[in-house]
Amino acid sequence: MANLLWLQGGACSGNTMSFLNAEEPSACDLVTDFGINILWHPSLGVELGQNLKTLLEDCISGKIKLDIFVFEGTVVNAPNGTGHWNRFAGRPMKDWVKELSAVADFVVAIGDCATWGGIPAMAPNPSESQGLQFLKRQHGGFLGKEFVSKAGLPVINIPGCPCHPDWVTQILVAVATGRAGDLTLDQFQRPKTFFQSFTQTGCTRNMHFAYKVSTTEFGQRNGCLFYDLGCRGPMTHSPCNRILWNRQSSKTRAGMPCLGCTEPEFPFFDLAPGTVFKTQTVMGVPKEMPPGMEKMRYIKLTASAKAAAPAWAEEDMFVV
Amino acid sequence: MAGNVRTLDISPVGRVEGDLDVRVDIEDGVVTNAWTSAELFRGFEIILRDKDPQAGLVVTPRACGICGASHLTCASWALDTAWNTEVPRNAIIARNLGQLVESLQSLPRHHYGLFMIDLINKNYKNSKYYEMAVERWAPFTGTNYELGVTISGRPVEIYALLGGQWPHSSYMVPGGVMCSPTLTDVTRSWSILEHFRRNWLEPVWFGCSLERYEEIKTYEDFLAWMDEKPEHANSDLAMFWKMAVDVGLDKYGNGLGKYVTWGYLPHEDKYQKPTIDGRNAAVWMPSGVYDSKSDTHKLMNQGLTREDVQHAWYSEGSGPVHPFDRTTAPIQKNDVDFEKGKYTWATAVLHAENGHLEAGPLARQLVYGGGHMEKWQQQDPLVLDMYKKMGGASVALRHFARMHEAKAIYRKIEHCLREFKLSEPFYKKPVEKDGRGWGATEAIRGALCHWIEVEGGKIKNYQIIAPTTWNVGPRSGKGERGPIEEALIGTPIKDISDPVEVGHVARSYDSCLVCTVHAHDAKTGKELARFRTT
Repeated sequence: MANLLWLQGGACSGNTMSFLNAEEPSACDLVTDFGINILWHPSLGVELGQNLKTLLEDCISGKIKLDIFVFEGTVVNAPNGTGHWNRFAGRPMKDWVKELSAVADFVVAIGDCATWGGIPAMAPNPSESQGLQFLKRQHGGFLGKEFVSKAGLPVINIPGCPCHPDWVTQILVAVATGRAGDLTLDQFQRPKTFFQSFTQTGCTRNMHFAYKVSTTEFGQRNGCLFYDLGCRGPMTHSPCNRILWNRQSSKTRAGMPCLGCTEPEFPFFDLAPGTVFKTQTVMGVPKEMPPGMEKMRYIKLTASAKAAAPAWAEEDMFVV
Repeated sequence: MAGNVRTLDISPVGRVEGDLDVRVDIEDGVVTNAWTSAELFRGFEIILRDKDPQAGLVVTPRACGICGASHLTCASWALDTAWNTEVPRNAIIARNLGQLVESLQSLPRHHYGLFMIDLINKNYKNSKYYEMAVERWAPFTGTNYELGVTISGRPVEIYALLGGQWPHSSYMVPGGVMCSPTLTDVTRSWSILEHFRRNWLEPVWFGCSLERYEEIKTYEDFLAWMDEKPEHANSDLAMFWKMAVDVGLDKYGNGLGKYVTWGYLPHEDKYQKPTIDGRNAAVWMPSGVYDSKSDTHKLMNQGLTREDVQHAWYSEGSGPVHPFDRTTAPIQKNDVDFEKGKYTWATAVLHAENGHLEAGPLARQLVYGGGHMEKWQQQDPLVLDMYKKMGGASVALRHFARMHEAKAIYRKIEHCLREFKLSEPFYKKPVEKDGRGWGATEAIRGALCHWIEVEGGKIKNYQIIAPTTWNVGPRSGKGERGPIEEALIGTPIKDISDPVEVGHVARSYDSCLVCTVHAHDAKTGKELARFRTT
């Protein structure tokens, strides 16, 4: 039996909603098959008011063992570092987060807001939001660089806006079944098993990427979204095209450019005028290349790819 | 006030999506006064200022992970009206379909996950339905809880076929949609829909066919239907109703008796050149304001929307203003002052003529009972009939109205899947320009809309009014209580250490604090600097 507590700070509940889409294991399976005892969750918990406060205090005092503390949403520090713009159970949420993180065996940040601040932390960051251990790319965040939970791990970051339910449930199952030791984390504390590959890995538009056939405007079934529509699939680490969304599809498959939401910079360019759904280019060459690609080589590669492209590559492949 | 008034602060109420604090005065075990307080501020409108005009398509679905499709619908229609785009027929259908499947998802998820688990509270141990309630609806382990929560994930698989994922896609864009579904996407959608119907909607929820349920037109029809067959009597719908009445949920939670809906689902042939003023005449589900005192219906007009910040944590002028005129600034020190001052991040949303209005499925259904719409628009007399015969609203009727929507939502999804013309366009590239726009819809929990002003190729002002802003708002400057504050009056509290009845009222509104407290615009860039982290 592992006790799990899930709280939300500056959150939209999107990760909770995503989590509830899970199957194998479903949210219910986690409880009934894997012995995860959900002490409380903002959308699912039974207690309210004083009874909840007592439960939280019992976790902090050690009367109730807190195995896994899951946090969704940003840590709100406004105004002026006091956290009063996000009060919960009678006090700033950030004070609960600090004390609960100190007693939990594992601390798991779910979604971009909890990992690196996400949309609320976008300029001008009116709520003075931070992620648990990062603010955007900067290590530290609310709990500080040195933080490790009682089990000796830093915050386990499961980013994404939202994160995929399987990414969450599989990490929870790993912890609950004693496999936490197998977790390897990358420099942003993301589980490598999910975040080493790219969003593009497995994308149905890969052939069009290879032959530099572009989707020039929305509503076209053919082409790659990278060249004109601002898709970040080649530069983003996620398994979105390996582990499909809602068991059916992915944004890039459906025709929506990847926004890079598993990376700390999301939303990129702070959504400045001219940057939304448009590839940023200099003299027709994308400003950002797939990682490790050098500009002159990219130009040579795409020029010859385009020249070599067979006729079918320009025709509609995903037909009615 | 008499000496036996006890004041109870409940923080948080929980299971309302976001953090809601409620203060109630209790006299002789009954609530005599109430204040609702939203306790989170993220500042989405401040964030959107000076950004790309399309930034709202990325940001606003993330205002609320529960109603993201609804926000996206508003954000795209707002830009369409600002840019005077043309939206192809297929794109209108694809947007409506996304909105509808999100709403269908929310029915079992809210019902089992958020609402019904209160009925296993110890207060109801003596109800003859209690044992059944525990067996079916206990969190995580109840037979129908598990079924309902798990199957709630299926309708949004259709959303993923259109937008790649749910929640948080941005597939609706000015001029149409990004996707261009193929036959296999449509047939897959039919299969998913059919699965939902054959595995939950008919066998578990209705206990009968959808067609049989559609025959119910009056309160008497409904009561007769419940006892017609054991399958009906034993359905989750009938069991919810019988237990709710048995434990008195039909006796409190009345509210203001005034209701609003924006209407939604633009007709695919009537709104291809969208304008703010043309919207009322183009939506399948009509807009309206229903006033129960005078028993009158009229159309809703966005121009009559007002926001009042007298009791909300913003420092700006005193009188109510239209959202286009908000120059809002959050105040730094958000002390709670229930007596005369400010106590919440939610503004009081008002109708210029009618004051506070209640939004939500009950409001929609009461409007559909009116005669003010055109013949092709949605009409449905059942809930208004129940409302009149039961003497107004209650926790039970408000929740019933929400679940009753399964019927129309399901039929409208079928309509969308039939109407796609797969070889025709889904997108027409618009010309970007400056202007003012407005986009509205009905999220499952009620009226939602966005106002946008684009100037110099960037966002000058972006304003959101969410359903819960209507419902959870504070007193108006004139002192009229907000809808939930009013609905709490008369609520019996059996055990003040576990005031589950307050939860019933709040959850009957399906309150969602995460997007109520989205927040607002500051006056100048200079002022914003104060809020920077570094």
